[in-house]
Amino acid sequence: MTTHGYRLPSGGRIDRTRTIAFEFNGRRLSGHPGDTLASALMANGVDIIGRSFKYRRPRGLYGAGVEDPNSMVAVRDAYGYEPALRAGQVRLGDGMQAWSVRGWPSAVFDVGGGVQLVSGLLNAGFYYKTFKWPSWSWFEPWIRRATGFGCPQAVDENRKVHHRHATYDVLIVGGGPAGLATARSLIGSGLRVFLAEDQPQLGGSLNWEAALIDGQSGSAWAASMARTLAEDSHTTILTSTTVTGAYENDHFVLVQSFWDDRGVHTECLWKLRAHHVVLATGMIERPLLFPDNDRPGIMLSGTVRRMINEFGVAPARRMAIYTNNDSGYLTALAAYRAGMAIAAVVDTRSAEAAMHATLSKEMGIPCLFDAQIQATAGYRRLATITVRQVSAVTKIACDGLAVSGGFSPCVHLAGHRGSKPVYDPTCGAFVPGDVPERWHVVGGVKATLDLSATFADAGAVAHTIRAGRGGLGSAHSPRVDVLSLGTGAIPTQPSVGSSSRMWVDFQNDVKASDIELAAREGYVAIEHLKRYTTLGMGTDQGRTSNVVGLSLLAALTNRTLSEVGTTTFRPPYTAIRLGTIANARRGDLFKPRRLFPTHGVHENRSAVFEDFGWERPDWYRSNANEREAAVALEMAAVRNHVGVFDASSLGKIEVTGPDAAKFLSRFYVSNLMTLKPERVRYSVMLKEDGVIFDDGVVSCLSDNHFLASPTSGNAEAVAAWFERWRQTEWPTMQVAISPVTANWTSIALAGPLARALLARLQPDFDISNDAFPHMQIREGTVGGVSARVARISFTGELQFEVSVQARYASSLLSTVLTAEGDLEPRPVGLEAWLRLRLEKGYLHVGSDTNGRTTPLDIGMGGIVAKRQDDFIGKRSLKLAFATSSEREQLVGLRALDGSLEVGGRILSRGHTQVPCPTEGYVTSACFSPSVGESIGLALIQRGHTRDGEVVKVFCGGTPISCRISNPIFYDPTNQRLQA
Amino acid sequence: MILIRCPYCGELRTEDELTYGGEANIARPAETVSDEAWTDYLFMRTNPKGIHQEQWCCSAGCGQWFKVVRDTVSHRILDVWKFEEVSQAAEEVA
Ligand SMILES: [Zn+2]
Repeated sequence: MTTHGYRLPSGGRIDRTRTIAFEFNGRRLSGHPGDTLASALMANGVDIIGRSFKYRRPRGLYGAGVEDPNSMVAVRDAYGYEPALRAGQVRLGDGMQAWSVRGWPSAVFDVGGGVQLVSGLLNAGFYYKTFKWPSWSWFEPWIRRATGFGCPQAVDENRKVHHRHATYDVLIVGGGPAGLATARSLIGSGLRVFLAEDQPQLGGSLNWEAALIDGQSGSAWAASMARTLAEDSHTTILTSTTVTGAYENDHFVLVQSFWDDRGVHTECLWKLRAHHVVLATGMIERPLLFPDNDRPGIMLSGTVRRMINEFGVAPARRMAIYTNNDSGYLTALAAYRAGMAIAAVVDTRSAEAAMHATLSKEMGIPCLFDAQIQATAGYRRLATITVRQVSAVTKIACDGLAVSGGFSPCVHLAGHRGSKPVYDPTCGAFVPGDVPERWHVVGGVKATLDLSATFADAGAVAHTIRAGRGGLGSAHSPRVDVLSLGTGAIPTQPSVGSSSRMWVDFQNDVKASDIELAAREGYVAIEHLKRYTTLGMGTDQGRTSNVVGLSLLAALTNRTLSEVGTTTFRPPYTAIRLGTIANARRGDLFKPRRLFPTHGVHENRSAVFEDFGWERPDWYRSNANEREAAVALEMAAVRNHVGVFDASSLGKIEVTGPDAAKFLSRFYVSNLMTLKPERVRYSVMLKEDGVIFDDGVVSCLSDNHFLASPTSGNAEAVAAWFERWRQTEWPTMQVAISPVTANWTSIALAGPLARALLARLQPDFDISNDAFPHMQIREGTVGGVSARVARISFTGELQFEVSVQARYASSLLSTVLTAEGDLEPRPVGLEAWLRLRLEKGYLHVGSDTNGRTTPLDIGMGGIVAKRQDDFIGKRSLKLAFATSSEREQLVGLRALDGSLEVGGRILSRGHTQVPCPTEGYVTSACFSPSVGESIGLALIQRGHTRDGEVVKVFCGGTPISCRISNPIFYDPTNQRLQA
Repeated sequence: MILIRCPYCGELRTEDELTYGGEANIARPAETVSDEAWTDYLFMRTNPKGIHQEQWCCSAGCGQWFKVVRDTVSHRILDVWKFEEVSQAAEEVA
């Protein structure tokens, strides 16, 4: 491989005494501590870092940091793997491995390179048009394989993550000259100042620009500032820290990276609030538009200066410069001083406008004025540029081209707060418009190119901030002798040549011709243009390309840049690792496990637990070694003798006070005003739209004391729902709501021998069928402790639910399970419990109801019709949607052949084969040992009128025949639960 | 992240300690109203760009619901008051 870039013999802030080994696409390379992956690749002469997104064009390094749209790499360091980083963001680590993320099988020899031949297919609106015609499915497999930004890897990360919260008086975003000067001038003010800089060292552009401040070099001045600030007890400085988002109430999210020689070992996510905010984020250079402006070797002009002065790397053997502003000459000078050959400075302006031209001329650098690049050439890397002037066309040999089209301030954070940037034609840039209160904008971010002006600005901002706090401290005014970046640059229109060869957005492969096409097709609103062409989307967010694209659209539609405006800025400014956001909330720490007070008793019985918000026994290995066998035994125990089920997660809300019955009646479909003490009633509750929200029983303990039992999953939500209505709608009702779910443990004894088992616990009240009938509740002493016993049934068998205080739970459960004699109580898990209730046709809210199901659909229309007074959701049941004859209604299903499956669709009448229209689905299903059939519940259109009808249900990949039936499959006359 | 001082417990709460309850002062009609009036109550909200009266709950704190006047553009909280009180700011907006 030919080498173009190389390490300069001296210069830069790297440690040349040490060497770091790394790999790129399998090649073993080396660099120095202080290098980024970008500078190390350049020093090793790596031209091609990846292939472009759509057209598979070879692409090289374009920018030195996060602004680089091209150099996307996957990186593995000693602590983890990241699929999509810019090479300039990555500090070189020992043993680091990096890969091109685009380009398959390799970036240099890319089979997809043929895409360039069919590039006409992939222009603006390609996706939208393809969805309509001819067919997305023709393109999809090919597109899916060929595109994307790297692959994630399912590997364990060793990176540590932590989160910190903090509040400061002042947040300064950016540790360049503007941020440093502001922080320095706030020393002594008594304000707590937090300065965040995304680079590993403070100083920003001073680290590579030729500046003289207070008689020392820019980087030396920055280092002395850093020392001064570090000594100040009120100032906190974080480097390698990016402010990724600004949110309301001046809340910021920051990501701080901690590095060592082998990679990023820790990341800290800060959630920070600040009273004052100083935006000192600087600016990013813009490219120029010309044919084939994306060849490897072409890069931003400032990147060349940075490579030379910060990393001691020459980006090319023979450099040309293409500029529309004075900064191009700084690059020429930097390259000249570094001993590089300079082919020419190509300036779009006339000789008079170029203030540094004489400097370059004195050094023998050829300068071409009123000049445009009309072509570039080179295989895999730039070899020549063709420059057109009024009277001449010159071909110039060069392997590097530094491009500057002016500067774009980094206004993103103000944009996150809804501040619209405004176009300032005098400096050719979008600058922050109205910023939020107590925000201050300093330096490059307001397009200030002159360092003296920036320092004056910083002093003024510090003065304003101090004034609000008593004005302590004093301004610090550095003396500056620096070669200015000159004046701002008005965005330049494209040079001559084919617009279908001019790349605007390198990352998304958007060309000038795409923007022309979009404008022709009427996509002239900037947000439409973005979505139609993908300009400025993705991880790049148009950092380099936005203003270039905007100015093109402005010219095409005869509008000013102000009229065109910018797209919306949204957080985050750069990608954040998902693991850093997740922090410890993963794996077993994702959320707290909730264990029953009886958990140990279940463990002793070898329960197999499932997480349903609570860790609940699904089945017991003590019953059988295999799930289906255990479930069958557990079901048989309930049907034939007695089973013991832990129902502790069932919601329990005590509602007390003179208005308790009236209050509860407003929530339930059933009238609870008539519920007498010691009685229990089942009902459902709705939201105001008439859709079922929850179900359960309500018990009356005494006239002013009720116990509502919502489902396990809704225990908290129902309590909050009650409380909200009490506070906001019915504040004068005399009622108190106490959620007591976790205070009580409920053990259900179910089966023909349930009464005998309860008797073993020696209740101090009569439990005979006459004295204690179905749907009643008693308070008393059971097993020596005070208890509530409800005679209700979820299984269709005789059932007592014994509730005691949680601390007696284990003792009660152990006593019940070890009952001696012929009772043989078996522990019963949730799976058996749910199948038992399915045999009985009892619905399970959330399984057998969905977000549309009303009480009319589940056969409770009669109860609704009887209600005279209002309840929540009642009025909605009279709306057309609820009374429609086409509604899906809950029915039973019996399979005539095959097995029912949850989710199986019911084929519309007259259809026997799929695909076809459907009219409902199976909501619960199992094989019923009691009935000896595969049974299920289903929501079927007009189901209540179709009893006995045979329907086809798509189950197990084939339609099976089923008969619609009464949902009560087992003991339809309720003999057993009355026993 | 929005910050609101709970008028009941007096603590300055962050958004994740609070529960948003939607627009305030939506009167619940009697069940005798027309279908249109009822569906308006169910679904129609003013959804303004700007000043909005809304309900919030101090759900990770004292559990009380209260009312807030918020600017939906800047997220500035202009007033906070208890259900049993009357807001000066809300009166002026009305
Ligand atoms: Zn509170």
